Amino acid sequence: MKCWFLAILGAVISGCAKDGQLHEAKKNTVMVEVTSQVWDYRLPWNPGTVSSGRGAGFIVAGKRIITNAHVISGARNITVQREADPRRYAAKVKYVAHDCDLAMLEVEDPAFFKGTTHLDLGGIPELESVVSVYGFPIGGDRLSVTRGVVSRIDYNAYTHSGRESHLAIQIDAAINPGNSGGPVMQSDKVVGVAFQGFRGDVAQNVGYMIPTPVIRRFLKDVEDGRYDYYVDIAVRWMPLENPAMRKYLGLANDGRGVVVTDVFSEGSSDGYLNKGDVLLSIDGHPIESDGSVRLEGKPVQLEEIVERKFSREEVRLEVWRGGQTETVNVPLKPADMFSMYEILYEPPPRYVLYGGLVFQPLTANLMAVLAGSADLRLKQKYTMFATDQMYRETPEPVILSAVLPDPSNVYLRGLAGQIVREINGRKIRTLADVEPALAANGERSVIRFEGDSRPAVLKREEVDRSTPRIMAQYGISEASRTEVGSRRLAKGSYSQEEKK
Amino acid sequence: MRAWAMILGLFLASAAWAAEQDEAQGSVVRVRAAIQPYDQFRPWQKKAPYGLNGIGVVLPGGKVLVTAALVANRTEVGLEKPGSAEKCAAEVEAIDYEANLAVLRPEKAEFLKGFKGLALGPALKAGDTAEVWQLERNGELLRNQAEILTVGVGRYPNDEAGFLQYGVRVSLPKRDDSYTLPLIRQNQLVGMVMMYDRDSQEGTAIPGPMIDRFLQDVADGKYEGFPTLGVSWTTLRDPNLREEVKAPKSGGILVTRVNPRGTAGRAGLKEGDVILSVDGMKLDEDGNYRDPLYGLTAIGNLVRVRPKVGSQAKFLVSRDGKEMELAGTYDRRARDEAAIPTLAFDTQPRYLVLGGLVFQQLTGAYLQEWGEKWTERAPQRLVELFSFQQEKRPDPDKKVVFLSQVLPATINLGYQHYSGLVLKNVNGTEIRSLAQLAEVLDSVKEGNLIFEFTDDPGKLVLDASEVKARQEEIRKAYGISELRKL
Repeated sequence: MKCWFLAILGAVISGCAKDGQLHEAKKNTVMVEVTSQVWDYRLPWNPGTVSSGRGAGFIVAGKRIITNAHVISGARNITVQREADPRRYAAKVKYVAHDCDLAMLEVEDPAFFKGTTHLDLGGIPELESVVSVYGFPIGGDRLSVTRGVVSRIDYNAYTHSGRESHLAIQIDAAINPGNSGGPVMQSDKVVGVAFQGFRGDVAQNVGYMIPTPVIRRFLKDVEDGRYDYYVDIAVRWMPLENPAMRKYLGLANDGRGVVVTDVFSEGSSDGYLNKGDVLLSIDGHPIESDGSVRLEGKPVQLEEIVERKFSREEVRLEVWRGGQTETVNVPLKPADMFSMYEILYEPPPRYVLYGGLVFQPLTANLMAVLAGSADLRLKQKYTMFATDQMYRETPEPVILSAVLPDPSNVYLRGLAGQIVREINGRKIRTLADVEPALAANGERSVIRFEGDSRPAVLKREEVDRSTPRIMAQYGISEASRTEVGSRRLAKGSYSQEEKK
Repeated sequence: MRAWAMILGLFLASAAWAAEQDEAQGSVVRVRAAIQPYDQFRPWQKKAPYGLNGIGVVLPGGKVLVTAALVANRTEVGLEKPGSAEKCAAEVEAIDYEANLAVLRPEKAEFLKGFKGLALGPALKAGDTAEVWQLERNGELLRNQAEILTVGVGRYPNDEAGFLQYGVRVSLPKRDDSYTLPLIRQNQLVGMVMMYDRDSQEGTAIPGPMIDRFLQDVADGKYEGFPTLGVSWTTLRDPNLREEVKAPKSGGILVTRVNPRGTAGRAGLKEGDVILSVDGMKLDEDGNYRDPLYGLTAIGNLVRVRPKVGSQAKFLVSRDGKEMELAGTYDRRARDEAAIPTLAFDTQPRYLVLGGLVFQQLTGAYLQEWGEKWTERAPQRLVELFSFQQEKRPDPDKKVVFLSQVLPATINLGYQHYSGLVLKNVNGTEIRSLAQLAEVLDSVKEGNLIFEFTDDPGKLVLDASEVKARQEEIRKAYGISELRKL
């Protein structure tokens, strides 16, 4: 009955091949129901607000379920359910990659997989070819199918992480809340994971899916038992179209090469590339003067070569330097200098409370709650942190994010939002520096800020008296949380030790 | 009997009104200004003109007082008699954008003949009443009762640090020529209304003593302006902070930054000093002193309005717990010698176009051209240099020259999307001003012109002889009358 219905609607485009695809999709698409908790960076000691949501996922080889990172971020409880089985099974996050919005779930109960097969990954679909989107979007509880054509294949922002851009495929099928994580299929194969769209008031019929090169990269990355972020060459470059510039650099006017204009210190290329180096080819692919290379016959930005690599792999560059060509192998690692701009989901917010003063590291999450009240100094610290390489001096700026009103700190309330420079004469480079510096005081602690703000002066005996009172008043169970919960930050500190 | 009294009362009142009306007729004129600011983004041209109309106060000497905002960026100013519409062009004799005051002189001296003018009245206190004068179409005065709500130091339109101002409540009907209005009490000028909000019916006025101080400065033939102290400071209410900086039992403010070229800096004040008194006036913990005219008043009035440029400044400070006296001379150097000037009215922005690359010298006016949210929208490096110039640009002679835009042409291919880049040097020579940049560029006849910037992409290169050959072509293509204004 259903087959007949579909056949009428889709006879011209799909014919009967679709029947097998729908059958496979129905067997292997799962509804993912999640109860999650979102940390409140305004009240970092609170466990956060609880909310529930629904997304989709699909089974791939090896009894693994693929879904979006944003479906399961902050999850406290996850259940999965299949179309053919009314029972709900508990699931756990095995790996999560926030930078490319993918996650892998596992289900312990083998009964869940009864009657399932798995979906195979395909390639990049052709422009204008038809794809089907499976999921559980709003409007009902059963599996939904929508269909559209591939509209565009391009780099696009992955909004979940707040800072990443990767290859994404735009389709004109409706993608609505609840579609997230579901498979997009063509000719019985998965060609993408539905993950983001535009609201109706911005654009119509614009949905995005994560293409298979990104999914494959994620699956390969976790083979060693952990997810290492995307790597980055961590340089800035400039196209070389101007003849006078080319002549100055001693280059022929052959339309090849881009010039390195900045090398991020502590990044992959630090120590390997210099400002003024001209990049002529990458892994054997000639670089055009606009920064593009040909990959599988299609022009892509040279970064795409790097995108497909993994931590500790190398990229081979042909470099024009000092009038001759050299070959430079750059070992790749993630660009930790940009991690400040990455929205954090799992790790609990870190803070130090002292006499009602709340200290927090500067993160995208903190900026989001301070946005309206942040002064120019703080806004500029945030926006220029990576480009000005401020992380070399201060890997993690510490902000006096709030002053919880108490009789002991009436004169300090205007200082909220200031950037901490030093405490008791000690420079504050990360949140970890705060507690030892405060403990180093005699009877008074002096906290100095960047710019020409007044210092905050606190008396130890007053703080000792006020802290239990403030904690009781504001329902704070712990006076500080400084352990590094984020693997990303842990790696940052690791690389620093390595340097020493 | 009762009816008689009423009629008599009416008669008397109208007689008095007629007399006052005469008085008024001889004391105010309409001021019509044609305004045309320069376009900061296309510095070789001006923006569309518009008109501002206000009321000027005739001063006893036959000159006219208006707010500076009324005549800023003017192309022409005209005076018009209220009753007769007789007109006369006027020149700006003196203008102070910070204090928001200007004096106009009619081109024909006899134009204001018969005008008695208004004398300056005394300072007002909160709770006093006064009148705001407007003009009807037929030239009759419209007098609105105003109440002085507050007297205190606050922001002026072109001065963040602020001067003394009156907060007034007055209901002003919509009338022409209301951009600037006089505040009058007993037929004496006691202030100029400079801002008014129709919804709350509240406004701010420049107090009479500020006007007096301005006019005195104008009268001596050499206008020097209002001095500045050149410090940042903070209140000292917090007992813990007092203890930390070893402040005495009460009073005083804490200096958090000193401009070494300013009045305070040259008198020897240092960061961390507690200023206890200035010119013999004791400061409380919030930076207020007891003013003989206004009572408790903020330090701004004490150091900017009471003294004149060149008069002696005396400070009593506590440094590390020890009191000491410091003396200096009031001046404006902290402001006038800033590398990046805040204000730029009436003057054409400096620029230089070379090979389609447009270089400008940074001013506050350029940044404000980006609109109300300029701190977010303007290039962040420029915002930083301007907003934190005490920290980032301490050398007043080192101006900020930046690439503001690139006018696309064949020779600047590949550079066309760059903007907001601060120029560091050209062919290795450090650039300290636009004029000096012009000299450096003129000295390079052929070969490379290597522009180095503080930010990405770092370097742009043009060929000097090719640039020279293309200058005229670019000038014509973009309709620029002059390729440089230094």
